[in-house]
Amino acid sequence: MLNISILSIGCTIFNLLLLFFVAKKFLFGRVDAVIAKRMEEVDDATRSADEAAHKALTTQVEYENKIAEIDAQKETIISDIKKQGYVEYERIVSDAKKKGEQIIMEARHNAEVENERAKEVYAAQLTDMVIDAASKIAATKHSSEDDMKLYDKFIVEAGVNNE
Amino acid sequence: MKELLNELLKEDKAFIHIPYGNGLFDLYKSVVVTWIILGVLFLLILFLTRDFKVHNISKRQAAVESFVLWIRGVTGGMLGEEAIRYQDYLAVVLIFIAASNMIGLFGFTPPTMDLTVTVALSLMSIILVEAAGLRKKGLGKWFKGFAEPMPVIAPMNVLELAIRPLSLCMRLFGNILGATVIMELIKHVAPVIFPALLSVYFDIFDGAIQAYVFVFLTSLYIKEAVE
Repeated sequence: MLNISILSIGCTIFNLLLLFFVAKKFLFGRVDAVIAKRMEEVDDATRSADEAAHKALTTQVEYENKIAEIDAQKETIISDIKKQGYVEYERIVSDAKKKGEQIIMEARHNAEVENERAKEVYAAQLTDMVIDAASKIAATKHSSEDDMKLYDKFIVEAGVNNE
Repeated sequence: MKELLNELLKEDKAFIHIPYGNGLFDLYKSVVVTWIILGVLFLLILFLTRDFKVHNISKRQAAVESFVLWIRGVTGGMLGEEAIRYQDYLAVVLIFIAASNMIGLFGFTPPTMDLTVTVALSLMSIILVEAAGLRKKGLGKWFKGFAEPMPVIAPMNVLELAIRPLSLCMRLFGNILGATVIMELIKHVAPVIFPALLSVYFDIFDGAIQAYVFVFLTSLYIKEAVE
């Protein structure tokens, strides 16, 4: 029962080592390979996620810079336009002023011309009246009494015409 | 009963008798049984681990993966961080001894009931223990390790080199032999129902416990050696 055999011990050791190497290669090796591959994939995914986050951050900064730039441009454009607007306003106002002055001048001129014309008409009427009076005086024999009446009549007529 | 025990304990263990060295070079039946166990385990491993995938794994692959992680956890936990590299070997030893102990269920004589197999297993264990210590400490420190904690007990430490594998192999051999003898006696006394019930304890439970104890003690020695 207790006897042992060297050959059998050797064979058992060989068997055990054989089992170990087969298990190492196929059982543990295959499982390890799968787990390692899975780990690698997780690492890859983590790395790419990190990269994407970094890229997103860079893009955000870029956009913020761009927006700031655009804001600055906007300010410049608005101030330019405002400046242009003032200039235009000034121009229009000054144009209007000039036009107004011209209109006023023309009106004044027209008024003067009208005045002159009216004066001339009045003078012509006066002349006609004087001629009329003179011809009436010349046509009638007259006394100093008549003259007095004539003067009065003339004055009255002139007054009526003048009213 | 006596004939039964005689048949069990004094039977000729030789499968092939070699007429040289007074039986020292016989090929025992236990070795043939380990070949059968090895063949079954190889087929099982090759069948279970074929076409492994990284994604969309089958239930078979999930089971194998969790089994591998579990058994590595068991042996790795006993070994500790410093000696974690030996966890695969101890897992294989655990599987091998457990399979050997339980093969009695299929009508074979357990190979671990033969002293030859347990001697081989414990030889491998003590070689691994000392190799782990040598590898970790180097030759000088390894020699100095025999004089620790004090030089007086150096002879004890040297004796341990022989005592440890002896206790390992005798414990496994004795337990499995005892369990088998008891099972044979039970089969002789009450051949119905009882053997089936008790073989759950003596073949499965005791077989697993003894495999665990063997691996546990080996890993304890390794852990001690690399500290």
